[in-house]
Amino acid sequence: MPWYLYLALKQLFPTGRKFPFFTAISVLGVALGVALLVISTSVMGGFGYEIRRMIVDTQGEVQVRADGLINDSVGLQARLAAVPGVVATTPFAEGVVMLEHERKPAYPAMQGIDVNRVGAVVPLEKFIRLGRLEDLDDDSVILSSKLALSIGARLGSKVEVYSPLLLEKLKNDEVFLPRELRVVGIFEVGHQQLDSSVVLVTLRQMQELYGLGGAIHGINVKIAPKADADAVASLINASLPPAARAHARSWIEANQDFLFILQLEKNMIFFLLTFIIIVSAFSVTSSLLISVVRKTREIGLLGALGAEPRQVAACFCFQGLLIGSAGTLAGLALGFGTLHFRNALVEGFTRLTSSEEVLTRFYQFSQLPAHTAVGDVIMIVVCSVVISTLAGLLPAWRAARLKPVEALRNE
Amino acid sequence: MSDPILTACGLRKTFLSGDRRLEVLTGVDLDVAAGESVSIRGESGSGKSTLLQLLAGLDAPDAGTLAWAGTPDTGTKRRATFLGIVFQSFYLIPELDARENVLMARRILGGIDPEARARADALLAKVGLAERMTHLPAQLSGGERQRVAVARALMNSPRLILADEPTGNLDERTGDAVIELLLGLCAETKTSLVLVTHNAAHAQKTHRQLVLRGGTFAHG
Ligand SMILES: Nc1ncnc2c1ncn2[C@@H]1O[C@H](COP(=O)(O)OP(=O)(O)O)[C@@H](O)[C@H]1O
Ligand SMILES: [Mg+2]
Repeated sequence: MPWYLYLALKQLFPTGRKFPFFTAISVLGVALGVALLVISTSVMGGFGYEIRRMIVDTQGEVQVRADGLINDSVGLQARLAAVPGVVATTPFAEGVVMLEHERKPAYPAMQGIDVNRVGAVVPLEKFIRLGRLEDLDDDSVILSSKLALSIGARLGSKVEVYSPLLLEKLKNDEVFLPRELRVVGIFEVGHQQLDSSVVLVTLRQMQELYGLGGAIHGINVKIAPKADADAVASLINASLPPAARAHARSWIEANQDFLFILQLEKNMIFFLLTFIIIVSAFSVTSSLLISVVRKTREIGLLGALGAEPRQVAACFCFQGLLIGSAGTLAGLALGFGTLHFRNALVEGFTRLTSSEEVLTRFYQFSQLPAHTAVGDVIMIVVCSVVISTLAGLLPAWRAARLKPVEALRNE
Repeated sequence: MSDPILTACGLRKTFLSGDRRLEVLTGVDLDVAAGESVSIRGESGSGKSTLLQLLAGLDAPDAGTLAWAGTPDTGTKRRATFLGIVFQSFYLIPELDARENVLMARRILGGIDPEARARADALLAKVGLAERMTHLPAQLSGGERQRVAVARALMNSPRLILADEPTGNLDERTGDAVIELLLGLCAETKTSLVLVTHNAAHAQKTHRQLVLRGGTFAHG
C-alpha cells in the first residue's frame, strides 16, 4: 500500500483509538444525505409507478381514436387484432351527460363499454367497490364513488340521464323523456378526477343516448406483456388505412405532459436533496482543512523525508474518498433498511398523529409505495462519492502547497 | 581520498522582510568527510537552522553550490536515501506508533517488506525502546520521542545525518543520553553527522567544532 493511503487510513482510524469521532461524524453526514436520497427517490418512484399503473389500468396501453366516428367497429378491431403485439381490444363511446338523482344534478363523462370485452383490456373489475360489473345491462349504470356520494345515490338508486340528443328533441318540440337507469355498482380508482366525474354504461346504451347507431368513438388496446406501447402504437398506425382516419396513441404519448411533470418533480427532489450531501461535504472539507493546519509540521516533515507534494495531496483526497465511500455504503444500508420497514414506520407515525384515515383516503394506498430504479441508485452513489472526493481537494491543495522549510520553521 | 559526503561552497542566503534585507548567511563553506562528525554552534538567530535547511536541500541558496557525495543532485528522491534529519521538536506523526513512525521513512521510499520491519525493530531496540515499539508518541517522554526520531533518521541507512538542536527540548541528562546515542550510532554505522547545538559539552564530542557568526564560520 502506498504510504499516503496508509497514512490516510491511519488518520481516519488512529491506532489505539476506540471510536474515531471525526471519521464517524463525517461518515454519518454523508450517510444521512444518501439515505434520504434513496428513500425519497424510491417513494417518489413508487408513487410514479402506481400512477402509471393506474393510467394503464383505466385507459389501456394504446387507444385508437378517429377524427369523427368509427362506423366499422368490428372490421377495425379485426384489423387491430392482426397487428403483432396486440392482445385484445374493446370498443368505447363517450360523452358528457346530465345526471340527476333526487333533484341533485351532476355532469359526468359517460363511458359506454362492451361488458363482454372490456375485462380483457383493462381490469375494471378490481376497481368496483360495490355491486358487480356483470350486473351492468342496458337499463343500469355504474357510478364513480365521489360522484355517487355527491348526488346521494347508492346501489339500487334510480338516476335520470339527460343527453344532448334529448335536448335536440326538445328543440324540435318532440316528446322529451329522460332515461331512467338503476345503479348496479360503485367504482373507485384512486384518482380524484376519475372518481368524481365518470360513470359507466353499456356501449349500446351510450350509442342510443348519443344517437350513434352502431358507431363508436374509439378502441382501447391491450398489448403483450413485454411489448413497448409506443412501438405497438406506431405499428397500428402503419397498418391503418388512411381512409379510416383513425390514429393510435400510446398511454405514454397521451399523458406525456403529466409524465413529464412527474419526472420533473422527481428530478427536483433529487437535485434539492443532493445539497444535503454537498453540505456534509463542506463539513468534511472544513475538518480536513483544520487537520491540515494542525498537521502543518508533520506535513513538512513528510516532505523532508522525501514525500512528493502530489502524494501529500493524495493522502487528503483519499480521506475524502474514504469518508464518501463509507458514508455512501452506510447511507444505502440506512436507506434500504428504512424502506424495508417503511410501512411499520408510516403506521407508527399515523398512529401518533391519528391520521390513518386521511392517508388511505387521500392516497388510496394502504401501504406506502416504493419503487427503486437502479439508475437512481447508481446516480446517488456516483454523486456522493464524487462530491466527497471533491471535498478533500481543497485541503489536499493546501497541504501540497506547504513547503517543508516553511512548515518546519515554527520551532 | 574519496569524495567528501557534503561539499558546500559560498552559500549565501538573504531574507527580505518588508523593505529590510536580512543577510543571514554571507558565504558559508563546509566540507564533511565520510564518517566525520561536525558541530555548529552560534547564537540564536545566527542562521544555523537556515544553513541546515540549505544543506538538506529543503531550501535553495541565493548563491553558492552544494553537492552530496560529489553530486549536485539534492532533490526530494535522493534526499530520502542520502539524508537523515533530526529536529528539535521531534515531529513524530501522532497517529502512528513508534515502530510505524520509524517505518514511515521507508514507506515513503516505495514500500516496506519484512526486512524493513526487522530493521525498524532492531533500530528501536538500539535506541533503547524495545519495550515501547507500539506506543504512540503521546505515550512517550520527550527523550523517548527524540530516540524514535533518531531511529527514523537512520532507517534508510543515510550517509549523512543533519541534527538541528536535537536536545533543545530535553532536560540535560536526557539530552546527554540522546547525544551519546546519536554519536555512537553514527560512529558505528560510519554515518557523517552535522550537529547544531547550544551545548558546548555536546559540541566537544564531535570531531570538528564550528561557530556561525556574522553569517559565516568563525573558527574556534
Ligand atoms: N523565511 C524567513 N523570512 C525572514 N526571515 C527569516 C526566515 N527564516 C529565517 N529568518 C531569519 O533568519 C535568521 C536566522 O534564523 P535561524 O536560521 O532560524 O537561526 P538559528 O537557527 O540560528 O536560531 C533569524 O533572524 C530569522 O528571523
Ligand atoms: Mg534554529
